[in-house]
This record gives sequence, C-alpha cells and structure tokens, in this order.
Amino acid sequence: MTNSIRVERAIKEITQAELAGQVGVSRQTINSIESNKYIPSTLLALKIARVFSKTVEEIFHLEKNDI
Amino acid sequence: MRPKYLLPFNFRYFGIGLILVHIPIKLLWDAMYPEGYGDHDPISDSAGNFLFSPPHLFFIGTTLMVLVGLFLVAFSRERVEDEQITQLRLDSLRWAIYLNYAILLFGLIFTHGSESGHILMLNIWLPLLFFILRFQWVLYRLNRSARSNDSEKKV
Repeated sequence: MTNSIRVERAIKEITQAELAGQVGVSRQTINSIESNKYIPSTLLALKIARVFSKTVEEIFHLEKNDI
Repeated sequence: MRPKYLLPFNFRYFGIGLILVHIPIKLLWDAMYPEGYGDHDPISDSAGNFLFSPPHLFFIGTTLMVLVGLFLVAFSRERVEDEQITQLRLDSLRWAIYLNYAILLFGLIFTHGSESGHILMLNIWLPLLFFILRFQWVLYRLNRSARSNDSEKKV
C-alpha cells in the first residue's frame, strides 16, 4: 500500500511532527507510514484523511500485490 | 488508541534502580561469604526450615529485585505509546517467547539432573531480558531511520 501523505503535507504546509500531534501518534510513526514501512490501522488512516479533508482512498492506494 | 495494561513511563527508572541496587548487595553478600553460606540447597536442609534461612531469603530478595526491575522496565509505556510502538512491542514479545522455548527445549533435551534446574532458572528472567533488548533495538532503529530520512531531505 502506498500513500500521498508527504504530498498532502507539502500542500497543507505542515511538518511530520505537526501531523503526528494532530492524529496522536509519534513523528517516527508518520515517517514510517510515509516511507511505506508501516501500514496504519483503519482508525489512524481515517484520522490522517480527516486532517487533509479527504477520503481515505484519496490518501492511501492499494498496490497490485495487495489485491 | 489508548494502550492498556502498561505502567506509567517513569516506572522504568524505578526498575533500573532496583536492578542497579541489586548488584552491590549481591557483591557484598559474595564478599561476606566467599565460600558460600552453609547449605544452599533448601531440599536437603536438615533443619527443615529452608524458607526462612538467610541464603534462601537472600536468594528470594535479590531474585525479586531483578525480576520486578526487569518487569518495570519491560512494561512501562514509551513517551508516545502509539499503535506502531504497540506492534513493535508485540513482535518483540513473540520473539522473546520463541527464544525462551527454544532454549528451554534445547536445555531439557541436552541436560539432566541439576543442570535442568539451571535452565529453568535461566527461563525466569531470559524472556524479559530478551524482550527489553529486542524492543529497545527496534526503537533505536526506528529513530535512526527517522533521523536519516530527515538528513536526506535537508541535502
């Protein structure tokens, strides 16, 4: 699964630490999600999408090998 | 997600303190009784009151200090205990159980008599110790990875 959090952060001009604070996780976790090393729970994915005022599908994308 | 069944963050310092305090106590005991304190084997204690004998009380006291110390270090929460940390914690716990049972089975197969007892003694603290080492190692790697990503962006 890939995601566009880094792009969305750049558009919204917020840092990893600020996003982490808004969704209640550590900055390292946001970094891991952006680097595709960690797949967030549904709850966290929904919280992240809400910060960017988008749907989960607009932020997170399934890859071929996920299907 | 609020983590359940974890101790407050500061409890780890109390745990480290207990482990550190146990070291001079053990060294002092060994210095006082370099030849050993009488009969250490409670089963063959002729008086039959091994429970309150000084070596047994010392053994229980120091073992409890180390075990409680390791427990506090292992199960106190991180500053930010989020879902990724919870997953790393569970992964480390699983590896600790794997290692523990591998050593236990290996020990039971290749030892006999009192040596088996030593393997069981090892199993008292090995899972906690391995869990702590593995968990701290993955946390260190996580932090290092985040830092290296930051430095890549700055270049």
